Amino acid sequence: MTTVRARDIDALVVGVSLLGSGGGGDASSFTHVLRQRLGDGEIVLHPPAALGDARTVPVGMVGATSVFAEKLPSGGELRSAVMAVARWTGEAPEAVMAVEAAGLNGVTALVAALDLGLPYLDADLTGRALPRLDQSTWAALGRPVAPAALCEPAGQTVVVADTDATGLERTLRAVLGEVGGWAGLALSAAPAHAAATDACTGTLGRALELGRAHGALRMMAESAEVAEAFGGRALADGRIYDITRHGTAAGYAGASVTVLDRCGAVVRLEAENEFLLALVDGEPVASCPDLLCVLDRRTARPLAVDAVRRGDEVLVVVLPAPPWWAEHGHLDLVGPSAFGLDCPPLLLGATS
Amino acid sequence: MTTVHGVALAALLDHPDWAEVAVLAPLPEPSPVVRAVSVVADLRSRPEQLPGHLLAVVVSGDRSDWRLDALLHRAAAAGARAVLLPTTEPLLRGSAALAARVRMPVLGSDAPLDAALAARALVAEGERYTAELVLRTTEACVRARAGVDGVLSAAGAVLGRPVALLDGSGSAVVGADLLDAPERAAVREAVGASAASARAAFRLELTGGAELLAHPVPTEQSDTRIWLAVRLPHRLPVESAAVAAALSVAAAVTGQQLSVRRLAVERDARSRASLLGELLHTPGEISTSTRRRALDAGWRLDGWHIGVQLDAGPDVDAVALRPDLVAALAEQGLDPVVVEQGDGWSVWTTVLREPEAAEIEAHAAAVRRAQRRLAPAVPTSVGVGRAHAGPLGLARTLGEAGEAARLAASRVPSGRFLHVDRLGLGQMLLAWTRTDTFQPAARSLLAPLQGQPGDLLQILTTYLDAESSVTETAAVLGIHRNTVATRVRRIQELLDIDLADPDERLALHLACRTTWTPQPAEEW
Repeated sequence: MTTVRARDIDALVVGVSLLGSGGGGDASSFTHVLRQRLGDGEIVLHPPAALGDARTVPVGMVGATSVFAEKLPSGGELRSAVMAVARWTGEAPEAVMAVEAAGLNGVTALVAALDLGLPYLDADLTGRALPRLDQSTWAALGRPVAPAALCEPAGQTVVVADTDATGLERTLRAVLGEVGGWAGLALSAAPAHAAATDACTGTLGRALELGRAHGALRMMAESAEVAEAFGGRALADGRIYDITRHGTAAGYAGASVTVLDRCGAVVRLEAENEFLLALVDGEPVASCPDLLCVLDRRTARPLAVDAVRRGDEVLVVVLPAPPWWAEHGHLDLVGPSAFGLDCPPLLLGATS
Repeated sequence: MTTVHGVALAALLDHPDWAEVAVLAPLPEPSPVVRAVSVVADLRSRPEQLPGHLLAVVVSGDRSDWRLDALLHRAAAAGARAVLLPTTEPLLRGSAALAARVRMPVLGSDAPLDAALAARALVAEGERYTAELVLRTTEACVRARAGVDGVLSAAGAVLGRPVALLDGSGSAVVGADLLDAPERAAVREAVGASAASARAAFRLELTGGAELLAHPVPTEQSDTRIWLAVRLPHRLPVESAAVAAALSVAAAVTGQQLSVRRLAVERDARSRASLLGELLHTPGEISTSTRRRALDAGWRLDGWHIGVQLDAGPDVDAVALRPDLVAALAEQGLDPVVVEQGDGWSVWTTVLREPEAAEIEAHAAAVRRAQRRLAPAVPTSVGVGRAHAGPLGLARTLGEAGEAARLAASRVPSGRFLHVDRLGLGQMLLAWTRTDTFQPAARSLLAPLQGQPGDLLQILTTYLDAESSVTETAAVLGIHRNTVATRVRRIQELLDIDLADPDERLALHLACRTTWTPQPAEEW
């Protein structure tokens, strides 16, 4: 049984950041909360079968998580949201899972489970960082996400019922714009065993493995070593030559990052919240939902889209996508076209 | 369809139709050669085979779009030589790095379709391009304002290149100077080499890949050789052919304009010459109608006239060069009447009261300065007459000037300039012997001395000048007097003349003076 102790937190942060693919929010900003809640104890990452029919509530932070630095969490937002859903349905929650076990939310769900005293189901609705609620396994399957509750740091709570993922996403954005940028979210509960097919399983377990593989790397490891350790492929080893930030059709802030490989190749990454598409010498070679990661050349720690700077020495690697999306035929929801990039998904291991 | 050899991208960029095209990613050296032009709508296009093509994107082309990079990659893989985008904003640094990496020049234009079609015409549609250019040139030349300058600027606007009229030395007669000194030398050589067909069109490769196209301008004067010329900064075969064809049209129009102007000028010249002829050759009273015509021409017959004759020789076109002479005289503050007369010009100044000696001197000096000013273009012999009053006086002063000018032709030391006031009576007498009737007689009289050893003509002349003194002659010539005596005897034998007879002696002396002239100090 995989468990998380205080000593695993550093590895976990690297792992969930890799799953963030440049986005997902900065997990390190919440680690002190997790460290304090864990104390000397541990939390078990349960597989779906181990929790049987337990009513499991997906939780996570939504909104502009970068506002954390200015608007501090009270620590009780997720707990309040879960309780709000419980009051609405009249059913007490029996377990907690993550909406998105990547980036910041890789850590928040663990904190919520500890706060609520409930077991943690190692499953989530995305398997990696994705920007919108309608890009979730439940939305793909048409499973209901409502009633859902939103609780912002000042204590205000909003319950949204009788809507689908797209409607919930729209309501969330409207509320978040008014209440100050971010809030804790809890969705309606589902039996734990259903997560075996309805969700991406073992995501935090994978994050821990990735983090531990990173911990085993030497300083200034070669790009091939790093890629092998992460089970992916190296795309570039060089210096960031240019960054252009611009608006996108969807209204998000987009960015184009160009890395000059030391062998001369020109590697371009297209990004919104996450890195979405990689071109080597103008030829598209990799895309979401595979995890495109820009790593610090020296430490091999992942860098966020808004943290890379011109002149940074970096590695660019691509790691395999969570398998759920391809297995269930929903690549269109998370591939480049979902972000307005007219390019088919280019995945590791694909025959083309 | 013209055979496609391809066009260097650098040449396209220098073409006027591509004036708006910007270079967004630099051209490699040597300049890539474009053999065809493909047009696609936007960055999403997936062209397959583009060997040697210029790929033009005509609709969308957001410079920050990642598909721009993808297009550069595909274009390079398909063998394209360059990409033309519908924007002139600079590329992102990343895209520029990629363009350099795949060695793909990137160009930009705000009117990409126009640029693409222009390129296609220049690369692959030579005949159509030529036809269109000739047509546009014809239209422009027909509508051009009158005069050679109008035709030149109209043709220049259509061709988008500087156009000029060149003479045989390669200098511009009208229009901008197209050539530098070494290039002018090359033109002279080219013109000289094709001396037999000196009036044919020619094409000259200049340094740096530039090219000069020249088409002769048809004129009625067989000795006038001028070319209508265009300089092309790059050798671009389609443009060369088209411009050459367009030049032939423009040259014909230019020639026509020249003829029109020439006709008007000649008509004026003829009327002036005939009026002067009437004034000079009518004995006695001048008719009322002649006076009237002189008045219309702005000539004042009353008052005092100072005549000047400028002889320029038979090879000079006095009608065409009249403006040069008028300008040279005006520069010296003179505004005389100028009439084309045979090999030169008859010129006179009229004043109301009798001029003083100093004024006449000043006038002569001004004429002399004008003569020197004119010399590089037209060397002349100049004679200035004395001041005479009235219509008859005009004939007299011009007659004196004419005689003086004829005399001046042999007076190199005096700069081929003679003022009758300064002529001695003897020289005037001598001048009258140098007429077209006397000179052949004098030459035949002395013919037996030609080709004989001992320079007999010089000895005879000196002997007669020295009052038939053998001693004096020997001293002047620096030879022994016995030699002189022997030679004089031999001369008398050869000519069969008795020097004791005053008539024969006088005739012989005049003949010597007429035919024998000292060797000129310099050639002019």
